[in-house]
Amino acid sequence: MSWAAHDLEPYAIQKHMKLKVAFVPLLIGSYSPDMMSKWFVYGIHLGPWDLKASDPAQFHRGWPGVGFTHSLLFGVVIGLILWKVFGSKIWGVSFVIGQFAHALTDTGDTVGTMLLFPWTFHFHLDAWAYAGQTGRNTDAAAYFSGLGSMWDLVFLVYGLYSWRVLTSEYFDAVIYRADRLWPWAHRLVPREAMIVLYRAAFFYGASRWIAWTIWAHVIHHYPYDLSWGGPHWVPAAHP
Amino acid sequence: MLRPHFDRPSRSDLRVFGGYCLAAALYIAIGVKWIDFLFSFWVAVAYLLVVAWLLPLAVRRFL
Repeated sequence: MSWAAHDLEPYAIQKHMKLKVAFVPLLIGSYSPDMMSKWFVYGIHLGPWDLKASDPAQFHRGWPGVGFTHSLLFGVVIGLILWKVFGSKIWGVSFVIGQFAHALTDTGDTVGTMLLFPWTFHFHLDAWAYAGQTGRNTDAAAYFSGLGSMWDLVFLVYGLYSWRVLTSEYFDAVIYRADRLWPWAHRLVPREAMIVLYRAAFFYGASRWIAWTIWAHVIHHYPYDLSWGGPHWVPAAHP
Repeated sequence: MLRPHFDRPSRSDLRVFGGYCLAAALYIAIGVKWIDFLFSFWVAVAYLLVVAWLLPLAVRRFL
């Protein structure tokens, strides 16, 4: 489970691929594996009902469950559908790249992902603990105490180092030109607002990384454990 | 030899960056106080549209 990497990685990919990708489907692809499932992993209260997966890790990453959303096949299938429906190859390819980035990044934790689904083997590097089953606050505290947050930090620093990707000049020269969605949206939305929208995921990832770090280590004093597979003070889930 | 090259931002780039830093500082302060604020991407988008686009637009109109 990653918290900010999926917001920040698309900007690093964008820097290297320039006009070969469209940013919006790239970002949607990066978010897509968790889009429909995260709420059921952490659970929600709906009036008198508590809705939560009985085995969150199995539901999120396994089969039976929705773990197939973290497979390469899922990215390819949805990418092909987007290509066919929108008649845009760049939309299909960009979605696939974003989704692959998410699926590969999530192999870093102790549950990992079924990259080659329908083969249900979980590829996992065990670098940081998967703690989604503990609820969202403990999961956040654990994630921002282990190597997962350092992986996010790599993309945060790289994004700042590649700051030109976030400028209005870059938006005009690359983002706007690469995808006909932007000229279409420009009929309704002013350019300044579109630039803000383009920067939003980076803003969200970076701000959230700092906020959760402050919450976990300044407000609540959860201990850092940057050892492999940590933090070991939380019960990590395994496939 | 591989030598990392850092592109130096102009004064105008730094002004934009400073504005976003201020917006981020407020977002982080609200988020640390009420953590539910941090969970939604759409809340962040709406927040950013208000503070980085609508607010400066309104200020420019009134000045």
